[in-house]
Parts: sequence; structure tokens; C-alpha cells
Amino acid sequence: MAFEFHLPDLAEGMTEAEVVGWKVKEGDRVAIDQPLVEVMSDKATVEIPSPRAGVLSRINYKEGQVCKVGAVLFVIDDGTAAAGATPPAVAARGNGHKATPPEAAPEPPRAEIPRAPSTAPSAPSTPPRAPEVPEVIDASPGRTRVLATPATRRLARQLGVELSSVAPSGHRGQVTPEDVRRSAEGAARAESRELRAPAAQREPAALVKIEKPRPGELEERIPFRGVRKRIAENMDRSVHTAAHFTYVEEVDCTDLVAVRKRAAERAAERGVKLTYLPFIMKAVVAGLKKWPQLNAALDESTQEMVRKKYYHLGIAAQGPHGLMVTVVRDADRRSIFDLATELERLAVAVQEGTATRDDLVGSTFTISSLGRLGGVLATPILNFPEVGILGVHELKERPAVKDGQIVIRWMMNLSISLDHRLVDGWDGAMFLQSVKALLEDPTLMFMEMI
Amino acid sequence: MPTMNIIQAVNDALRTEMQREAKVVVLGEDVGKFGGVFRATSGLFDEFGPERVIDTPLAEAGIIGTAVGMALYGMRPVPEIQFADFIYPAFDQIVNELAKFRYRSGGQYPCPVVIRTPYGGGIRGGHYHSQSPEAMFIHTAGLKVVIPSNPYDAKGLLLSCLRQNDPVIFMEPKRIYRAARGEVPTDDYTVPLGVAKVVREGEQVTLIAYGAMVPVVEEAAEKAAQQGISCEVLDLRTLMPYDLDAILGSVKKTGRCVVVHEAARTCGFGGEVAASIYERAIEFLEAPIQRVTGFDTPFPYSLEHEYMPNADRVLGAIRKTLEW
Amino acid sequence: MVAVHLQDDLRRVLDEEGRVIKGAQVPPVPDEDLVRIFDTMLLIRVMDDRMMKIQRQGRLGFYMQSLGEEACHFAVYPLRQSDWVFPSYREQGAWFWAGYSVENYIDQLLGNEKDPVKGRQMPVHHSASWLNYVSISSPVGTQIPQAVGTAMGMKISKTDGVAMTFFGEGTSSTGEFHVGMNFAGVSKAPIVFVCRNNGYAISVPIEKQTAAKTFASKAVGYGMPGVRVDGNDILAVLQVSIEAVERARAGDGPTMIEAITYRREGHSSSDDPSVYRDPREPVPWHKKDPVNRLRGYLRLRDIWSEQHERQVIERHNEAIASALARAEHLGGPPVESLFDDVYEDIPWNLREQRDYLLSLPRQKSPHKH
Repeated sequence: MAFEFHLPDLAEGMTEAEVVGWKVKEGDRVAIDQPLVEVMSDKATVEIPSPRAGVLSRINYKEGQVCKVGAVLFVIDDGTAAAGATPPAVAARGNGHKATPPEAAPEPPRAEIPRAPSTAPSAPSTPPRAPEVPEVIDASPGRTRVLATPATRRLARQLGVELSSVAPSGHRGQVTPEDVRRSAEGAARAESRELRAPAAQREPAALVKIEKPRPGELEERIPFRGVRKRIAENMDRSVHTAAHFTYVEEVDCTDLVAVRKRAAERAAERGVKLTYLPFIMKAVVAGLKKWPQLNAALDESTQEMVRKKYYHLGIAAQGPHGLMVTVVRDADRRSIFDLATELERLAVAVQEGTATRDDLVGSTFTISSLGRLGGVLATPILNFPEVGILGVHELKERPAVKDGQIVIRWMMNLSISLDHRLVDGWDGAMFLQSVKALLEDPTLMFMEMI
Repeated sequence: MPTMNIIQAVNDALRTEMQREAKVVVLGEDVGKFGGVFRATSGLFDEFGPERVIDTPLAEAGIIGTAVGMALYGMRPVPEIQFADFIYPAFDQIVNELAKFRYRSGGQYPCPVVIRTPYGGGIRGGHYHSQSPEAMFIHTAGLKVVIPSNPYDAKGLLLSCLRQNDPVIFMEPKRIYRAARGEVPTDDYTVPLGVAKVVREGEQVTLIAYGAMVPVVEEAAEKAAQQGISCEVLDLRTLMPYDLDAILGSVKKTGRCVVVHEAARTCGFGGEVAASIYERAIEFLEAPIQRVTGFDTPFPYSLEHEYMPNADRVLGAIRKTLEW
Repeated sequence: MVAVHLQDDLRRVLDEEGRVIKGAQVPPVPDEDLVRIFDTMLLIRVMDDRMMKIQRQGRLGFYMQSLGEEACHFAVYPLRQSDWVFPSYREQGAWFWAGYSVENYIDQLLGNEKDPVKGRQMPVHHSASWLNYVSISSPVGTQIPQAVGTAMGMKISKTDGVAMTFFGEGTSSTGEFHVGMNFAGVSKAPIVFVCRNNGYAISVPIEKQTAAKTFASKAVGYGMPGVRVDGNDILAVLQVSIEAVERARAGDGPTMIEAITYRREGHSSSDDPSVYRDPREPVPWHKKDPVNRLRGYLRLRDIWSEQHERQVIERHNEAIASALARAEHLGGPPVESLFDDVYEDIPWNLREQRDYLLSLPRQKSPHKH
């Protein structure tokens, strides 16, 4: 393997050295520590002993030439196979004795220093402060320069006042706080603000420190990174942008249970496992077509509400590393069989690690099936930047009232969370009622499906 | 409760600690039999003897160097540098040795030395009895710098210094050694390091000072009050580490700030305070921070009264922040 | 009032072949100690040679060797474990003698994560509080008043402890030498000053360092004896040191020892002495080599064998090789340790700076390829 020798800084700040003379030539076999070359810096002339045994395969700088520190001065082929970064050869001295295994180096005992008693703290014990980040100011070109102190600017930002539109009354021509306040009272509402922080940005808070436990209290610390950290970041972002609200309804699925039972037998014949999910997906797609504002997202850069005319349903489930969303694309163009097949394919792909980007990204609305875990209500968190997520709870027999009688029915609750910025309560409720109607009356679903 | 001046308070602190802790040793020029040129160590020689109150030869490098050796050995030396102006022969021992001993030894050798030294002008001492070199020591990693402005703090801060394990430069404002008087408890108490004190509460302008400048800004605040201006006065007490929270808390409230020190202007500690405030609270400022300082000249003899910041100069700065 | 006089006479015990000079007294040092001293001298030789080679190979940034001066290090021989030593940077033998391990030594040179001083300092700036060997700094002479302070502390505490400090002859020109010697004399501190007069302070020869005839004569000015000794004669060094340490321990005050020796190589790995001195100048000093002379003495006493020496050298080589292999595999100190030990507890400004640095991507050292 070729060992490249980079000329080191041999003399406290040496930047280059001139080659005074080589003691060997290219192609020569050299031993460890054998003197190879003399180099001269402005401080000293030194002889460099060979760091490896082998063949001096290349000399890069001849006598009289100047080699910069860090450049490769020569190369030695030590005859071993290249195997990643090999450690420098241990010098075996005399009679071929091998190096003995190192003894454990004695740990220097800590000096006994009495610690300062608590009556005299030397510094206020505040948590570590991350450097505070000031809010971003819109400095688009074309605006005239305004004189104002930082505090006045902050006030203007808080009141939503455009500084350049305020008549300055300060004696240096600056806008005063009073000017700003006056302007705010007569100004238009907050939507005329041009000075604003990007919606998704907020002041980073001081880092939270979890104190070490007392003796006897155990803890396990797992590095916060990878999938877990990504999930956390998405949740954080979602909760801090959308205006979450949740609406819950219970659905009488007794008829659906019978339909699915028969349909599942049909599906089994084709080797496909059929759950309730494809039915729910169909009901959801039908609803989204009627209420397109739930299949949407907010484009902040263009200030547009984008209603999508394609229907990629995200299916949220617990993966091996945490919450995962797989995407069933074009759910509106798939039959119930197709949906069931596709769900199986996605499950296998995730397990085998062969899921593609399209399988994991790009949903327009998300369904989160919590069924097997029970529960009657949830407040799911939106899959940013979607505006709707439907939580599906356990399907089980419960008492219900029908025609004045108490009967046992198969009931299932649905919890839907929506972004109130784009979706009103009315829309959300109507959507969920339509989903409910289709699930409670499969015949109706059959007739409505395109 | 007795009334003491700063000298008596320092003396009381030293006596208290030397009674409490046998490892405390005082050393310096004239500190023994004579009791110190300012009488700060008066009576200690008689009470504790020549082995614990040592008259050293005239060599600051030797005073601090041997103090370092004593501290390494496990004692708690309190060397006195007779005037801060004479600290420079010991600069190498302070900056290259004392300040770095714990760090360079990987934590093996803490070096708890408390250097006491009178500093500052106002006693007609000219170049060599008036200097304020605190900035050089604040700037040296590993040192703490403590400057009391009154007898109560002088005793409490000095006791805190003597009971912690980092090297400290304890600078005593000699102009008010005797003029500053106040009630000082005879019992054992400490004033925490790293904590500033709000000496006067106010709403409009924050005045930050330490040492002999504290009474100066208090006077300025009083004059300002008569003109209807409400000032808050912050006595820093410890300059390294300094109480950033107190500074920011006050400036965020008032929006205006004046920093006062008698040390020269350029690269004085006022610059550090101002930079810190600008970095973290610029949006709260209604006006630029004003510094009222000594000039970038050696400390003069005849024109000392022109050199040192006074209440009128501080008041001018206060008004400047309001009229900005 | 101590009666001191100029001692122009040079204390000697061995001639250049290792024979005891007629009339000289051999110090009361047991044979096994002499053998151990010899073994340790060999360790210095082997270590210095190895370390200079790896420095030239770019594996070590800086090194200072002691070729030709090894006997001076053993002035520490009469000291107890509880005595304190304030070395300069050229007494590696003293460190090994006290129990500083080869691993500790090499870890410090490489500044790795096991370095006893946590990678804070340049190579050869050791610190071993568990041996009472005090941290070394680069400015020469600073250790002198510190050693005196410790000695004063020992006296005040009524122990019979002794402090010893080493420095080169160039350091005797510093202010610190003067204040230290003066404080020691006035306070009758229990301290031994060991001045290695090796002929050069980097490139400056002794004629340019002082107009005094000898360095030991400076001791007179401080009211303490100054003793000159052939620094390459181990028995003489041991003898004068035993006397000086006993003097100090008995409460009779300080002594200055001037050990005459010669720096056969450069000041450090950055220095090339051929620039300022005749390359023939060191040659006569080979005959006075301290290792050879001790070998000669041990041979005459029949307590040396070629086989033993070979085995010892091999043992040293192996220890160094394995320590080096281990040390080079270790990482550097963790980045956050940059901010520890400035103070006992980390203040807010350092905590902030630490958080800032930790938030940045890690930098690659230009000295690692």
C-alpha cells in the first residue's frame, strides 16, 4: 500500500522547506527510521527518518526544490494490501521482537480539592443561553430608508405599522414611538403588515436541560436523532403552523361489517387481505371531492390555498422506528381490491426497506388507523402541510338506540383534525357526516362511487 | 451594628477568615508589623504572628510567585500588591501562571490566590498611584475580578473570594477607602460573586458602575431625579464573571444605558458591557449606550479633577440618551 | 548570619572512565539504587531518540531531549514522595524516577484523550499532582518563586518537607530567579535550587549570559551556599544533592547547586545548533558522557552486565513502542473540554461559548492527514 508522507511542520510555524539532499533514490528499499532526506527551513535543517519499511516508490521534490508543509514529499510502498486506514507501523526493535501488549496506564488520581461551599456561589446558575436570534425584518429593495431606533422598530413590528408610511416627528428626522402608536390607531388591520416573521419561524427557546437524577434514580439516555428526531421536527412544525381543531363522530358500521365479511371472502380467493381501510378510504375520497378545501394546503410563498385535484391518501401506522406514513397514490382511481392490494404492497415494502420516495411522500390527506388499540377519541396532529387527518378508532359492539330500543350495534368512532386557517368547522363537520353516511349505508357508497 | 469604612471592613474580613481557617496567610510589602500602608492589615501581625502575616522583600513577582507556590501546596494566600500601579512586575506570574494553573494542568492544580490591591485615582497620586488596570485582568481567562464600592460589600465579597477556589484580583477603590462608611455586621456573612446589586430603582435610564464610581453615579441619579428623570443604578460588584442578567433586565426595562468607569475609554470594560447589551437587547434600546470614562491618557496629577468622571459628566450622558 | 564563600572548586567523584577519583568520597547510595538510576538513564536515552525520530516523521509536534545531561535529573534522588518538585522542561529522568509512567509521558506529548493535562499544553509540559511534580510552563523561571512559596508553606506548616526546583543557566538571568533566590534566602526556606549549566540558552552561550565567573557564585548574594558539581558525574550529583536536601530538611535553609554539563544536541526539535556553534564543539563531551561513566563505575563494582543492559534497553523499547501504538490510536480530547478547568465551575460566558462551538461543524486539524 502506498504511504504518502506529507511534510509536517517541523519547527513551530514552518510553512515550507527546501530539499537539501536525498540519501536514497527512487526505487530503493528502505528500513524504518533510516535517514531519507535532509530538508531546510529558515529555522533549522533536519533529517527525516523513514516512517515505514518498503520501497521508496516516488520522490516528489528533488534537491533544491521547495516543498510546502502538507504537500506529499515522498511515497513509500510498504508492500501490504490496502485495507482502509492502517495505523502507523509499530517500531519493532532488535532481533525481531514483537511489541508487548500495553499495560493499562495508571489513571492519575484526582487531586483532593475542597469544593467551594454553597454560601459563596461564584456565578448565577441560569440554564445555558442559546444566542438569541432577532426577528427577520423585511428589507426589500425600493423602500426608502427610515430613521428609527431599534426599540421603535420593534414597536412598529408589534403594532403592524409600516415605518416608511409614518410621518417622522423626531428632531433628527426619526420616527418616534409616539408616531408609531398614532399610526397604529388609524392604520388598517394586521393583514396590511409587510414587516413580519415567516409563519413557520419562531424564536428558538433556551435549550431545555434535564437534570441528572439523584442517586438511586435510574435513567436511560438514548441519542435524539434519526427518525425519531425527524418525527419530532415534523410534529413541532405542524403544531406551530396550523390551527388544529378536532371533530369527533360515531359511525354505525353494522351493515358495513356484513358487507366486509362477504367481500373479504372474495378477496381471499384472490389472495388479498381485505380490512375496513379500503372502505374508509373510498368514503373519504368521495367526501374530499365534495369538500375540496379539505384536500388542500397553504402555499405561503405565493399566498395561495392550493386545492388538489388528485387524491393521494397517507396511511399513518406504527413502524419499527416510530410513526410512518405510507402513501396510496390516486386513491380515487383504485377499486376496493386495488386499495387492499396496494396497502399490502406498501406494508411489505416498508418492512423490507424497499419503499420508494413515492411510497412515503406526497400525500394530500392522511388517515390514521388506531383501531386495534381501542380508544374512542383522539386529537391527531396534521401531517404538515395537509389540512386534514382522520383518526379511525376501534370497531366494536356497543349499545345504541334505534327506534326507541336499546340494541347492540357495531360502532366505530372517527376523530378528524383540521386546519382552521383553511377549513371552517362547518366544512369539517359536513365532510365527516358524508363519510359517516357512506360507511353506515354501504349501498349508498356503492351507488355514489365512480 | 458597627459602622465601618472599607479599610476596616477589609481588615475585619481578613481577621474573620484567618481565625476561621488556619491556611489563610497574608503576605506583601509592609503588611506585617506596619499593618499595611493603608492599614488594611493592621493588627493581624500581632494576632497571628510573622508566619501568617509575612513582610516580603520588595518584589511583586516574588510576592505573587511565592503566593502561587503556597496555594499549590494547599494554603490560602492573600498577597497584597501595595498599589495596582505596581502590579506589572507580577503580570507574568498572574497572567501566565496563576490564571492558567488549573487549566494547563488538566485540573490537577487549582490555585486559590486572592490578590488584594488598592486601585483608582482621586488621592493626588499621579501616574503611579491612580491606575485602574481591571480590563487587562478581566480579559485574562481564568481570573476573577471583584470590585466592591462600600464596606458591607467589601467584607462580604472578600469572604466569598477567600472561600472559593479560583484566583481573584480583589481591587479596592482607594479614593473611598475611608469616605465610604456604612453598617457592617460583625458576624460571618458573604456577598455572592457574579451578582450585581440594584442600588437605586428607576424607570428611564440604567446607570452601570463599580467601585469609586458608584457614589458618583448615585449623585448623578439624584441630580437627574430633581430634573424629573428616573434613573436605575446598578453596582456590578463582580466584573468577571459579570451579572449579565441584571444588566439586561434593567436595560430592557429602561431602554437607555450609561456605563461609567474611571479606567481609560478605549478597550475599557464599558465596551464589553455595551457590546453585550447590543448583542442581546438592541431592540429594547431607545438610544445608543453612553460611556463616561477616563481619557486615553496616563493619569494626570494636577488635572486629576478634570480626568475623573464626575456627576455632571454622567448627568450629561443621561440627558444625551433621553434627547436622542 | 550564614557564612558563605565562593566555591570555585568543582565537586567530583568519578573520572571519565567511571573510576573513583583519589580522595573523593562515594555517596551513601545503595547498589540497587544505582542500578535503577542507570536503567532510568537508559530510558531517557531510548525515549529521547525515539521521540526525536517520530517528531521528524510528523507524528509528534515538538520535543526537547536531554542528551548528555541525564545525570543532573537525579538530583531528585534524596527527595521523599511528600517533597515537591518544580522542574523546567528538561528533566524527564526526574519524572520517570518519581514514577511518571511511559504511557503518561507519551500521552502528554501527543495531547490525546488520556493526556494527564487533557491536551491543554505543548509537548514536554507535564504535570503530575499525584507525584507532587508541578505543572511546567514555557516562560522560564516562573517556577522558581513558586517553588520558594511552597517551601515557605512547608516551613509555616511545620512539616520537614523540602522543595526542589530545576532551571537552566540562562534562567538565572531572569527577574524570577532573583526574586525567588532572595525570598528563599530571607525566609530560610527549605529549598534546593538546581541550575543545569549546559552551556547554551538556545543559541546564547554562557559568556553572553553573565559576567560572573560562575553561576554558583550568584548564591552568595542571597545568603546561601552555592555548590558547583560536575553535572555529568552521577555520584557527585547525588552527593551534593543529598547534602543540600539534608541541609534544607534540618531547617538550615536553601542551597544552590550549579551542575556543569553540556547540551549536546539542539535546544528543541525546532532548533539546529549548527547554525550558531561549531559542530566539533560537542565532541570532547562524548568522553564525559554521564551514562558511560556510570556504566564504567557499575562495571568496576561488578554490578553491570552487557546482557542486563541489552534487556533493559529492549524492555524500554517495547514499553515505548506499545505506549506509542496505543497513544496514537486514541482520539483527541473532547471538544467541550476546551471550556473546562478555566474556573472550578463554568461561568455563563463560557457555557455560552461552549454551546456555540458545539453547534458548529467540527474542524479538521491541519496537522492530521
